[in-house]
Amino acid sequence: MVITIPRLGNTHMAMRALFDAFGIACIIPENNKAVLQRGTAAAPEDMCLPFKIMMGGFLGAIEQGADTILLTGSCGPCRFGEYGELFSRLLKQTGHPADVIVIDAPAEIGMKTLLSRFGRIAEASRAPRRVKIAALGQAYQILALADALDAAAYKLAGYERETGACARLLAAFRREMRACRGPEAALKVLESYHRQIRRIGMDPSRKPLRVAIAGEVYSMFEPFANLNIEERLMRMGVATERLLTPTWWLRDLVLKPLHLNSPEVKKRSAPYLPVPVGGHARETIAHAEYARQSGMDGVIQIFPMGCMPEIVAKAALHGVDVPVLTLVIDEMTGDAGYDTRIEAFLDMLEARRRRAKRWA
Amino acid sequence: MVIGIPNGLIFRIYGDFARAFFAELGIRTVFSPETDRTILDAGVRSCESEACLPVKLFCGHVAWLRGRCDAILVPRLMRLTKRQSICPMFCGLPELARGAAAGTRLIDAPVYAPECGGLDAWAKQAASAVGAGKRWDAALKAAMAAHENRKAGFCDSGYEHTVALIGHAYNIYDRFVNMDLIRKLHALGIGVITHERVADADIARHMAALSKPPFWYFAQRYYGAALHLLVSAKVDGIIYVSAFGCGVDAVVEALIRDAAGGAAMMTLKLDEHTGAAGFDTRLEAFADMLGRRKANGDHHSPAGEYAYGYAGAV
Amino acid sequence: MGVRKLLLGIDVGSVSTNLVVTDAAGELIERLYLPTAGRPLEALLLGFSQLAKRFDDAEIGACGVTGSGRQLAAAVVGADIVKTEITAHAAAAIHVGPGVRTILEIGGQDSKIIRIEDGYVTDFAMNTVCAAGTGSFLDRQAQRLNMSISEFGACALRSTAPVRIAGRCAVFAESDMISKQQAGHAIEDIVAGLCEALVRNYLNNLAGHRMPEPPVLFQGGVAANAGIVAAFEKALGVPVIVPPHHDVRGAYGAALMAREVCGPTRFSGFGCVTSGLFAKGFECDGCSNGCEVVALMRDGEPAAYWGDRCGKWGVKLAGTAADARRQTTSA
Repeated sequence: MVITIPRLGNTHMAMRALFDAFGIACIIPENNKAVLQRGTAAAPEDMCLPFKIMMGGFLGAIEQGADTILLTGSCGPCRFGEYGELFSRLLKQTGHPADVIVIDAPAEIGMKTLLSRFGRIAEASRAPRRVKIAALGQAYQILALADALDAAAYKLAGYERETGACARLLAAFRREMRACRGPEAALKVLESYHRQIRRIGMDPSRKPLRVAIAGEVYSMFEPFANLNIEERLMRMGVATERLLTPTWWLRDLVLKPLHLNSPEVKKRSAPYLPVPVGGHARETIAHAEYARQSGMDGVIQIFPMGCMPEIVAKAALHGVDVPVLTLVIDEMTGDAGYDTRIEAFLDMLEARRRRAKRWA
Repeated sequence: MVIGIPNGLIFRIYGDFARAFFAELGIRTVFSPETDRTILDAGVRSCESEACLPVKLFCGHVAWLRGRCDAILVPRLMRLTKRQSICPMFCGLPELARGAAAGTRLIDAPVYAPECGGLDAWAKQAASAVGAGKRWDAALKAAMAAHENRKAGFCDSGYEHTVALIGHAYNIYDRFVNMDLIRKLHALGIGVITHERVADADIARHMAALSKPPFWYFAQRYYGAALHLLVSAKVDGIIYVSAFGCGVDAVVEALIRDAAGGAAMMTLKLDEHTGAAGFDTRLEAFADMLGRRKANGDHHSPAGEYAYGYAGAV
Repeated sequence: MGVRKLLLGIDVGSVSTNLVVTDAAGELIERLYLPTAGRPLEALLLGFSQLAKRFDDAEIGACGVTGSGRQLAAAVVGADIVKTEITAHAAAAIHVGPGVRTILEIGGQDSKIIRIEDGYVTDFAMNTVCAAGTGSFLDRQAQRLNMSISEFGACALRSTAPVRIAGRCAVFAESDMISKQQAGHAIEDIVAGLCEALVRNYLNNLAGHRMPEPPVLFQGGVAANAGIVAAFEKALGVPVIVPPHHDVRGAYGAALMAREVCGPTRFSGFGCVTSGLFAKGFECDGCSNGCEVVALMRDGEPAAYWGDRCGKWGVKLAGTAADARRQTTSA
């Protein structure tokens, strides 16, 4: 069994370590323009960007020998829940057949089905049970630490004394992780970078613009999809906060059936959108409301073209009294207009501060 | 008091239901007329630019009702059966329509699965929203009866060819946006059968072949109906009518196309700027193709060049 | 008498490269509108050689740059402030009349709407994907009708019954226009119909359900077209003001913003644009992103980089948009 998974933010670091420990070969496709081009050609025209990126990646991975696709699912009403079925059919059509294992939320398919799907992967591993269980815990730790490192760097970039220190640290971290094999080595790298980031010189007197990132999860988590939005903002000296991370998402998936997931999301979004509409529309609104309450300067909402829940969220966001920039991405999104929008938004936020000061 | 009912989206199916419900309560209703240019323009302007065409049209109908009624019925359709939802836009319809309503009150009570008593809850809220809360029960009964008695769908016979006409009701029955598709098909000697005329059991049979049935209610209906009609040789081909920007159509169309194998299939994508000339050309070409296939006797031949040659989107 | 302190504004756009010189109070002294023609450095070289005849390097007290080529311009000339054309257009409009509420801007390759309250930008929208709301759409249709773009506006005004040209998208609008021509409609009705189609597309794409509030200013190259101005007034029901020098408002705004930067200017002088300058694009192989990085080469040596997503090349530089922002926020 050779597994492939979509590349999605830091999740590949955890998954790579996990499969290394399991002794299962795993091909994680890179996301780049060539992959997107391939995926766009093979996918139905109206499918959303995440589908096209994943499709391109899978085609390449299958050519390199992958035979099983591991995918997380969701039972809608967003389109993501239909990805598995479509992938398996379209890949077969193009002569790239593969098994698609969909890890749905236990609330939807039942714990038994979920465990049997996991079982198919576990069976392919010769590693002892004890090692497998330990690796699962380590993988979660890797994901959580990597997400925390990102979050710290994105926020601290607004306060760093030396321009680009946080960005350079993240770049070095990513390079080192690429070369790293097995959970122990990955954790060592992570601990080292967590130590290093604490040593970066900070100027607490700075008052950088504080911006929250919200929107559809894939396009928030995967830098290729969002054209490295956070790194762009880091370079502009903005302190960025994103409340949703792959770590959050994983916890949400597990906690959902117990109704323990994020009660504050429900509370904050209720005045603007009283019901869940699928995807993460409520989270988007809750985070805009959080940004407003905590005095952040603005919110950037990102979603792929045609993302149904986020379009509803965009309409509901008009009610939240906080400046919002909506970035809709598709395979044709270019650098030029993207930067201009972001910069003009930041200019607007600065002007807003000056205006507030004038009236104060 | 007058309640406005937008003549788009779900009211292409539940129009009679809504009319009967309020009539029983003694409340007058006003329906927006058939879609026209003005309604389309108003919708495009008043709705989120990223929304799909049908939602924009719905907003256009809401805008038309503004000033012509005291409140507009814009329900949140949450779930149609226990396990089946419809697209997220339906759940957030009041949010999307608020701009078009421009302050006119919306009756936006949510509708959950009828089998879980969800319709009762909706009827109670909707009736009390118009000040007639006590009579919700009778109104709901009248509405259900009207819905059951309506004549829905097509099951033509006696035409030279017959096709499964698949797509959302608000695309298939909105004569403005689909440029009078059904009449044009009839004129070309093509009869149509729609999913309403396919039995639930026939649809369920085709769900079994999927690793997981689509969770959208209508997606199941369309997929199952198309395959049933094709496999039972009741139709010569499939015409899928999809709307620009519809995420559900993108998925369902791809699933049907894959499952239909080599059968004649054409997708008509409706857009606010579709030109009638190109549209008619495609319909005629499809009719020609059906004729040629029949003449050659290859009713269900593997995908030929023709099948895909004309299958592009308008 | 001491050296007068002038402000230089530069707007490097995809269609034109505009240069503006004003006095310290913001009065316009000189303006140049030069075609970019895909070669911004040549346009800058031409512009600077003309300005050098009239002005001394020492007279330039501050320099602001804007436009889609702002990175390039900033790296070459040494700018005191680098801002997007949205911010620059707003600065220019607010200078004219602090009460202005809406700016309509239609350029060659994109279009924007900017909403202003109380002298501050409160919202903006920008369209870069759809040609049907931009100047290039008009150029193309004028060409098809065998008409120069300058005749276009006057022709539209002669119409009494504009034809409805359907189409949100340039390609469909074009095919509809052809069918209207075949149907024998008068040319001025078709031209006026095109103007209305552009305005409809613009408002649908950018304004949404919030109609532009007056006073409305119309800036950018397309504002010269009386047909479009009339179509806007008809659609909005309010007068649409076209300010003087509407075609170089971005550069003008950049000059005004430069005034607010304290300290000695970073402007490197009119001689800084030489024929030894060229921009070289390459694909970075540092990671899988494959960013198209642009290197500005001065006499064979790299002087600046931009276009990378991670900042690997860009952070080496001073004078980038990011640096300029850091200064303003730390103040």
